[in-house]
Amino acid sequence: MNESKVSNRYANSLLSSASEEGKLDSIAKDMELIYSTIKANSSLGKALSSPIVRSQIKVSILEEIFKKKVSKETMDFLKFVVEKNREDLLENIAKKFLDLRDQKLGVVNVDVRSAVELSETQKKKLRENFEKLLNKKVRFSFVIDESVIGGFIAKAGDTVYDASLSHQLEILKKQFLKGGASLN
Amino acid sequence: MAEVRPDEISAILRKQLSGFESETDIYDVGTVLQVGDGIARVYGLSKVMMSELVEFPNDVFGMVLNLDEDSVGCVLFGESTKIKEGDTVKRTKRVASMPVGESMLGRVITPLGVPVDGKGAISSEKFLPIERKALGVIQRQPVKEPLQTGITAIDAMIPIGRGQRELIIGDRQTGKTAVAVDTIINQKYTHTEEAKELGIKPVYCIYVAVGQKSSTVAQVVAKLQEHDAMEYTTVIAATANEPTPLQFIAPYAGATLGEFFRDNGKHALVVYDDLSKQAVAYRELSLLLRRPPGREAYPGDVFYLHSRLLERASKLSEEMGGGSLTALPIIETQQGDVSAYIPTNVISITDGQIYLESNLFNAGVRPAINVGISVSRVGGNAQIKAMKKVAGSLKLDLAQYRELEAFAKFGSDLDKATQKTLAKGARLVELLKQGQYAPVPVERQVVSIYLGTNGYLDNIAVHDVKRFEKEILEFIEVKNNKIFEAIKKEKQLSDSVIADIKKAADEFLAVFK
Repeated sequence: MNESKVSNRYANSLLSSASEEGKLDSIAKDMELIYSTIKANSSLGKALSSPIVRSQIKVSILEEIFKKKVSKETMDFLKFVVEKNREDLLENIAKKFLDLRDQKLGVVNVDVRSAVELSETQKKKLRENFEKLLNKKVRFSFVIDESVIGGFIAKAGDTVYDASLSHQLEILKKQFLKGGASLN
Repeated sequence: MAEVRPDEISAILRKQLSGFESETDIYDVGTVLQVGDGIARVYGLSKVMMSELVEFPNDVFGMVLNLDEDSVGCVLFGESTKIKEGDTVKRTKRVASMPVGESMLGRVITPLGVPVDGKGAISSEKFLPIERKALGVIQRQPVKEPLQTGITAIDAMIPIGRGQRELIIGDRQTGKTAVAVDTIINQKYTHTEEAKELGIKPVYCIYVAVGQKSSTVAQVVAKLQEHDAMEYTTVIAATANEPTPLQFIAPYAGATLGEFFRDNGKHALVVYDDLSKQAVAYRELSLLLRRPPGREAYPGDVFYLHSRLLERASKLSEEMGGGSLTALPIIETQQGDVSAYIPTNVISITDGQIYLESNLFNAGVRPAINVGISVSRVGGNAQIKAMKKVAGSLKLDLAQYRELEAFAKFGSDLDKATQKTLAKGARLVELLKQGQYAPVPVERQVVSIYLGTNGYLDNIAVHDVKRFEKEILEFIEVKNNKIFEAIKKEKQLSDSVIADIKKAADEFLAVFK
């Protein structure tokens, strides 16, 4: 429980200092890189959270990986996190930072699952409709999932907009079963 | 054999489908982080309400009990083995509720309103939330109508009024459930035409079984059926094998069903059998939800658990329809220890308690009510005048008897007055003994007690007292039934009735052998 509080605090302070210095875009890009790198390489995450690996070594690992790819401010932040022994939360912090940035800019991530690749006009229409519905800017990520059968399932935050054929069939099944005989 | 043509089937299918609309379904979801011991931690569900029902896969439902910073704690009403990490949880947008209605009478249901008696589905359109706020001061009025239990000792000395909360407390095997079941059986009278003429309104009963053996519940149901009491009774069963959350909400479900009757101007009686098991179930849930343990490892809000339940018992004001909800909570003590945590809590919440003792039970005093420490704080106002009149001297006589009881073994060494008090006390104790499932109507109770307190039993051997009572009541019924009728109608003991009783008793004593 405490972990989320801690990551929240670090992410928040990074966000405010980044926007103060007007470097929000570049730092956000760096954090995206850091988040995806740690997420994709479990060994890196393990090394960072291992208490056996000394802080200096962790710093040099991070420097070697990210030095050429991220800005100086981000590198300083990474060092600071390691110095405070919170390097195990780095992934969470990066994730939280991106969430907070989206919140600040009024951007919503919408995951759309569909059985077939959507055409550009369909995507455009989806964007228009969602931006009107949520009153925010929308960042889409499209996934192809054959179990949807037809239509699409869009997930914005915790809310699901389900216009899929599989869900309709599920409802239909329930409706048929409702009138049926049960054991009791 | 008649054949079913395929086109017939497709016609039926088409008909069923015609009402089906395809629309975008919008719902809120979360993901299961952790599951086990009937508890699930869910990530997401950011707008979920406290005590809202949530839907897990495989038709398992849960109720939200914890709203934490970044997760939601749910209790599961089904098997936790059907749920795995990463499953999607859906909001239902309604707080835990149950169907209510007259169609529930005569049925055995789970706390969520699902029938378990194999008599088919229950049709009821109305749903009420399981947790409801108790009524305020304005909507209530003092208890004023009696709720006859049919047990002489209780109706005379620890009277219960409609809308009261009277605790039944005692060790295991002291007849707590028997008192409650007898009370339910005795309500049969209130559903008769005769009671209607006398202005006695029917009482609908709800028996809530929490954490009991399924066999015990089946036995209670069978007994109620045998005495035609199921017609106006609903049994809510959360037996020991049900998930703990169901045991925790069962009493609230009972109160909700009772409130349905109360709010419609009717009268209801709810028996919570028993609340100590509910407290244990709640302790289990709370510990699994990592709430800090307090005394006896119960969570800090275990008092509120019972107080909010029992506060729902009430007598409504006339403007609200004058309905009532009477509660008979049952608490099981360990080795007669009433100063344990849960017993003291519930004693302080209720309007009195009926205390049952195992040594009385073993000595053959059944119902094993200790009338010395049993009290009813408000029921006295609800007693009929005739009963009030005779019960006063009964209480006094028994109190004097208890004081001198210790000297009883000295026998003939005692002075005349003491011997007389002891003899009378022993006969009164004998008079108050009563068989199970044999409730006594109030007019008979009044006559019996009148005879006992006015010395008509003094010359009868103790072991003959019960026989004497039975025979004289039969004698009056046959020869002088207007005595019973008068008490029933006038609800008081007028001088002429007393004279009649005296006359009948003298007549009977002359022939009694």
